[in-house]
Amino acid sequence: MNEASVNPKELTIEQVQEILRSQQYVCDRSLATVVYLSLVMGKPLLLEGEAGVGKTEIAKVLSKVLDAKLIRLQCYEGLDANTALYEWNYPKQMLRIKLEEVEKGDRQTVESEIFTQEYLTKRPLLEAIQSDGANPPVLLIDEIDRADVEFEAFLLEVLSDFQITIPEIGTIQAKHRPYVFLTSNRTREIHDALKRRCLYHWIEYPTFEKEYEIITTKFPQVEGNMAKQICAFMQRVREMNFYKRPGVAETLDWVSALVALNRRSLDDKAVVETMGCVFKYREDLHHLREQVEGKQLNLEALLRVSPELVS
Amino acid sequence: MDITPEAVASAVTGVASVRGRGTLPNLMAFARVLKTLGIKIGLSQVLDTARATDMVEIGAKADFRALLRANLISQKEDFPAFDMAFECFWREQAYERVPMETMDIEGTPTQSNAQEGGDEEGGIEEAIAETLAKENVPLENLDEFAIPTYSAQEQLNRKDFSEMGVDESRAIARAILLIATKIATQISRRKKVSRRGALVDPRWTMRKNMKYGGEIIDLVQRKKRIKKTKVVLLCDVSGSMDCYSRFLIQFMYGLQNELWGVETFVFSTSLSRITHLIRTKDIANALEKISGSILGWSGGTNIGRSLHTFNRSFAPSMVTHRTVVVVISDGWDRGDVSLLEREMQDLKRRSKKLIWLNPLLASENYEPLCKGMQAALPYIDLFLSVHNLNSLIALGRTLQKMVA
Repeated sequence: MNEASVNPKELTIEQVQEILRSQQYVCDRSLATVVYLSLVMGKPLLLEGEAGVGKTEIAKVLSKVLDAKLIRLQCYEGLDANTALYEWNYPKQMLRIKLEEVEKGDRQTVESEIFTQEYLTKRPLLEAIQSDGANPPVLLIDEIDRADVEFEAFLLEVLSDFQITIPEIGTIQAKHRPYVFLTSNRTREIHDALKRRCLYHWIEYPTFEKEYEIITTKFPQVEGNMAKQICAFMQRVREMNFYKRPGVAETLDWVSALVALNRRSLDDKAVVETMGCVFKYREDLHHLREQVEGKQLNLEALLRVSPELVS
Repeated sequence: MDITPEAVASAVTGVASVRGRGTLPNLMAFARVLKTLGIKIGLSQVLDTARATDMVEIGAKADFRALLRANLISQKEDFPAFDMAFECFWREQAYERVPMETMDIEGTPTQSNAQEGGDEEGGIEEAIAETLAKENVPLENLDEFAIPTYSAQEQLNRKDFSEMGVDESRAIARAILLIATKIATQISRRKKVSRRGALVDPRWTMRKNMKYGGEIIDLVQRKKRIKKTKVVLLCDVSGSMDCYSRFLIQFMYGLQNELWGVETFVFSTSLSRITHLIRTKDIANALEKISGSILGWSGGTNIGRSLHTFNRSFAPSMVTHRTVVVVISDGWDRGDVSLLEREMQDLKRRSKKLIWLNPLLASENYEPLCKGMQAALPYIDLFLSVHNLNSLIALGRTLQKMVA
């Protein structure tokens, strides 16, 4: 595609919105503005929002349209410098030493050679800093709230100076400043110091219109009426008291299931059959089933497309 | 503190005097409005915002708003306050015409636009440097965060602890010790290097044996690390809790002295930190000091405001995802319930576990009906009773299960 060669610094907000849409990512103007600012200012973007609203997706899509390498760092508890930055390749170093022993090599040379980049295992952050492709890479630091607070602290250094110091080698400066996206599900608060270095955006659940647009963009073959029914259902269900409210990811799962089943319209029976796509907790499914059987909840009513849903 | 239109308006009027011409002074004034409303903003964020202003079409209000919001705000809870402040500060008519000019409150005639416009072109960077260099006053002001002081009379009651038998009930102390260890230890997924661990750590073994030319001589082992959890104790010492005060003191004292890293606070209408006061083995002396220094002991209760103070002033540095927050209170609250709810939500998000111990829970037909308790309930991980030794032991068991 010809957008592949876009220069992020010369985009406008409209173009950002457009190229995201070309990759089937529907976003509103405020999100587009923030993404645009992040690209132009070279400032990391912290995205928060409920699960399944497309936080991670945006980094993936951007890497595609910018023709940039996507480097992803999935955070988890206990993530440390060795897994996020770099590590010495010990086995390789050992082999080299053994070989030199046999060949009676010079000790000094060996010592200086085994601590060079050749013996370094690059982890995501170093990879992002050192990336030497034509375009700066997109660095996605996913679910930062899962990592320990200590990890945030050294991320701080990487994100403000875009450099990494390796004692044996020296400081490695970024060739291109990577475009950094951080996502958080808010299981804990991110430290203010890190937040201050980022732009911030909260991604809401989509409105009826936006969700409709997302469905019809991703699945053009879906009947308009059924898409509307699905949106109506999702809008109402999100207002209700479920343990895990379904996000856009669930909507898309559901649509693809309905497409696979060759459904052209929805009724209460079809909803009950495919509910596993929308609710991922036994308690939620149980709750829904109970409500439906006890006639407290009318699925037909949930599916009705009525004007008050359209903002 | 709820954000009302009046509060926003008064905050905006409050900065009228420091609003200058051009982007930066106005942005700094706007940042100060946000600060007055309780939003934390660093100077670097304001400067970044100023640098970014020429990246969007200033005339497009929605974009300008998105720009300010993305730069200045870093949690969604602050969005409503931001939106109100934005509307009030960058007022519509003035906005359209001279977007970055002063919207003069006193009604002084609007300055000649052409010249101002020229200044703007001159570059934000210069303006920033200039402001940083010469205007120390507004910058200092920008960094200080005024915590609203509360002036209503607090009941200045000094409680006499002298009647309390210091070395009574060793059993309680033992129960507390059990609870303390349960709260505070947890096995971590992270491992540490140890001489007697069950697992060999190949990388560290290799690394360590490099000095022998790669022959494996020393083994490096790892074992699971015991994770030290920090505990923050928030104790209600208002009038309604009076009959439990003896127990409370012992609980606070016991926990603090059994565990490393406990922070203790007491609250009634306001919050006091007493960690330093009870960090001593001499309990009688400690009690003396506490009763001498706490205002509002046995007074009314304002849980919401106390929590607000805690969240603003202490939580950022004390509460992490490894911190267990224990609130001991009966939930009788005379303050603003919505504030309480918001602060509980905040606290819940920051902490690892939020435990609420309620002495009233013990009575047969207690239901958390008082508004305060009801507002707090959804955010509590563990809601338990404390009123006697048995309940303490039960608490210890529950915690054991929870942690295991």
